[in-house]
Parts: sequence; structure tokens; C-alpha cells
Amino acid sequence: MTSNPLALIAEITHRCPLHCVYCSNPLEMAAVSSELSTAQWIDIFQQAGKLGMLHAHLTGGEPLARPDLTELIAAARAAGLYTNLITSGIGLAEARLKALVDAGLDHIQLSFQDSREDSANWIAGAKAHAHKIELSRLIRLHKIAFTVNLVIHRQNVDHLDEMIAFIEQLAPERMEIAHTQYYGWALKNRAALLPTRAQLDKAVEAVAAADKRLAGRIRVDFVVPDYYARFPKACMGGWGRKLMLINPAGKVLPCHAAEVIPGLTFENVREQSLENIWQRSPSFQRFRGEDWMPEPCRSCDQRTQDFGGCRCQALLLTGNAEATDPACSLAPAHHIVEAALVDANSTTAIAQPVPASSFVQLQQRAEDLWSYRTNPE
Amino acid sequence: MPPPDDSAQPRLAAGCRWGAENKGGTEQERVILFPEGAIKLQGTGRQVLERCDGQRTFSQIIAELQSQFTDADPTKIRADISQFLEQLRHKRIVDY
Repeated sequence: MTSNPLALIAEITHRCPLHCVYCSNPLEMAAVSSELSTAQWIDIFQQAGKLGMLHAHLTGGEPLARPDLTELIAAARAAGLYTNLITSGIGLAEARLKALVDAGLDHIQLSFQDSREDSANWIAGAKAHAHKIELSRLIRLHKIAFTVNLVIHRQNVDHLDEMIAFIEQLAPERMEIAHTQYYGWALKNRAALLPTRAQLDKAVEAVAAADKRLAGRIRVDFVVPDYYARFPKACMGGWGRKLMLINPAGKVLPCHAAEVIPGLTFENVREQSLENIWQRSPSFQRFRGEDWMPEPCRSCDQRTQDFGGCRCQALLLTGNAEATDPACSLAPAHHIVEAALVDANSTTAIAQPVPASSFVQLQQRAEDLWSYRTNPE
Repeated sequence: MPPPDDSAQPRLAAGCRWGAENKGGTEQERVILFPEGAIKLQGTGRQVLERCDGQRTFSQIIAELQSQFTDADPTKIRADISQFLEQLRHKRIVDY
């Protein structure tokens, strides 16, 4: 028996009013017509509670795009789960926020793209920044935990100090400063997003200084870019070890990107129970534990820390999901990551925010730099 | 970051709460839930945190634990509780 999962990641829709160029959603998104119903999600949360899961992370796309979000939060909370809403804030104003809190919302994680409005809106491909600031003020009127998430990359990291000061005055309990992870749209746009070594070093210093200065007031969590790390990240805390993700269409996945791996089929909550999938799904078992590991992972002391890194990144970069994560300095395919770093460090050029009167115009003007995330059908 | 004052009234930070009784796994264990994780608590840690109700003062919490563990050095109990709460405040699980 595998011990029970700890948390459920509920991707309740892939629809989103933002078009962030680093979005981790898959390039092939779940169609609107395939989305699970309210009753199906409520049943999922009840199963998750019975399985002993602790957290439900409601994410998307933009979860607020579903009109039944309040009902879903209430159901997750009633099932005994800690409820976390991961959101851009678009679609949330005073009354709906109050309804969510009354329904039992424990924590809201609000994303920002930058501290500077022109840059933030350029990265998001939407005029969202001003609304997020106003929403932050409203959130602080409620007794829920508030995290501000900031994704950093080549185009904004040079003014990280300014962005940290900006977040500080929004007064969250926690700030999460996360380097872009290269999946989905971010991988497509990697050349525009991967920072230089000098940018990274400066960011590490800025975060360490902020952590010290804000200790006891704001917790600072930092996600490093694994391309620059010595060892790979412990992706999802290990494949099929702690987390289950359900996509908008009801497919049950070990992580956000798992569908890129050929040869795996994923069960659907419409047909099987969560418990059955967790215990018996061949896809969840495929990279669980250590039996699948090649060398150098198999005999490496780090294998109980990083579990061999990320299977999806291995597939995306080497074409083989069984390979050691190429982000690892010991990986046979590490040269692939090194080549990307050589490119990233051969120039320090960054772009200037492009103003536009419509999203279509913005898309056209930014074409040479990056592709914006589009929406599912 | 300073340790709590004697008159401080430690409490769980916004969005941090106890999980249902059955979530800890055993009778002795209870779990504190917070945005990105959970801590299982038993023994002294549990007894301290259950007293962080925003009513009791830091010195009351210490006195209660000292009177319960009469074999242990009272100075050490104070130092341990102080350090425990400082760590939890750094994680933004406790406020004082």
C-alpha cells in the first residue's frame, strides 16, 4: 500500500483572462465543453477528504472563471480540506470575495507580474495590474492568509528590489518569489525568460536581504531556476508520492505537465475513484519509487532528496522521460541545459514593454519576443 | 526577530488552523494546517500551541507548562518555548 496523498491540485478550468507568457498550463488545454460539473467536483473533494488529504489547491487557468467557485470552496472545506485559491484576481470584487471567505476559504494566493504597471500588463497580456492592487487591499480586510506570488524572469528580475518593496506594502503574510519553470508556454518562450547568471546572483542576494529584513512579518519563499542548480528539484515531492492533480476534464495526473509524456494514459474521475487511481494507476506507478531510475540516479545519494528530478523536463529536453533530469549537473544530458545557459549568457539584452490598445495588437507587436498564452476552445 | 514579551498573547496567524481530529493519524497527534503545508504536533509542542489562543499571555503559557513538567528545568522550558514560538512566527504560523 502506498501512503495516501497529501494534497489535491484542482485545475478547475483552463480558461483565463490573462495571457502570461510563462504560463505552466499545457499548450493543449482542456476544452470548455469537457469541464467537470459542480457535482463532480464536489464528489472529488469528498473523496479527497476521506482519503486523508489535507489541502485543496484550486487553480486553473483562472478559477474565478467558474461561476460555481464559491460552492466548490464550501464543498472542499466541508470535506475537511484546507482551501487555497490560486488566482490572478480577475473576476473578484468585494461581494464575491466575502462570499468565498464565508464559504470557508483559508488562503488566497494572488499573482503579480511586476511592480511596474506597463511591464506587468505587457507580461500578462492584459490590463490586470491596477485591479490586483485594489483587490489586495480588500483581501486584507478579511482574516484569511494572503500570499503574493511573483514570477521572475529575464525581463523583470533586474528590479527585484523594487518589486519586493512593492509587495511589502501590500502586507501579505507570505511572498513567493518564483523563477519561471520551463514547461508549457514558458518552455516555448524560454529564450526571452531565462535569466543570466549575473541576474540570478543579484536576485539571490535581494531575496536573502528581504528575508532577513522582513523576518517575522512576511515570510519569503524563493523558487530557484533549476537550470542553474547543481541538483534537480524534487518535482511534486516525487512522482505519485504526495500530490494528485485533476485537470478541468477530470483526468488525474501526477503533475501539471504529465500529459506530455507519451505512452502514459491517465484515468478519469468520471470512471474511477481517486483511491483506486492513486493505488493502482499504471501511470502513477510508472515513476513511483526508485525501480525506474537509470544511473547515475540509481546509485546517487541525492535520490531520496530529489527523486531523480522531473520526468516531464527529462522528456521535454531529451525526448526520454526515463532520463535523469538534465537540470542535474550529473546528468548525461546536462549539456542540453548548459547550451541553453550559454545562449542566455551570451547577451544581456532585455526588451522594453510594448504598449498596445488591444490584445491582438499586443500579440502582433511582441511576436519576435514571445508567444502569449491563448485560451482553450 | 525578538522572542515574545511576557505580556504577548500568542495566537495562530491568519489562515492557520487546526485540522480535524482525525487528520493527525493518531489520538496523540493533531495537525496545524497552513497555506503550503501542515505540521503534526504531539507532546509538548501540541500543548504549547493549543495554549496559543490569543488570550493566554506568554508568561501564563510558560507557567502552565512548568507546572505540568515539574521534573524539567524551568529555565530550559522557557527557553524551549520561546525558541519554538520564534520559529513558528518566522514561518508565519504564529503571531505575537
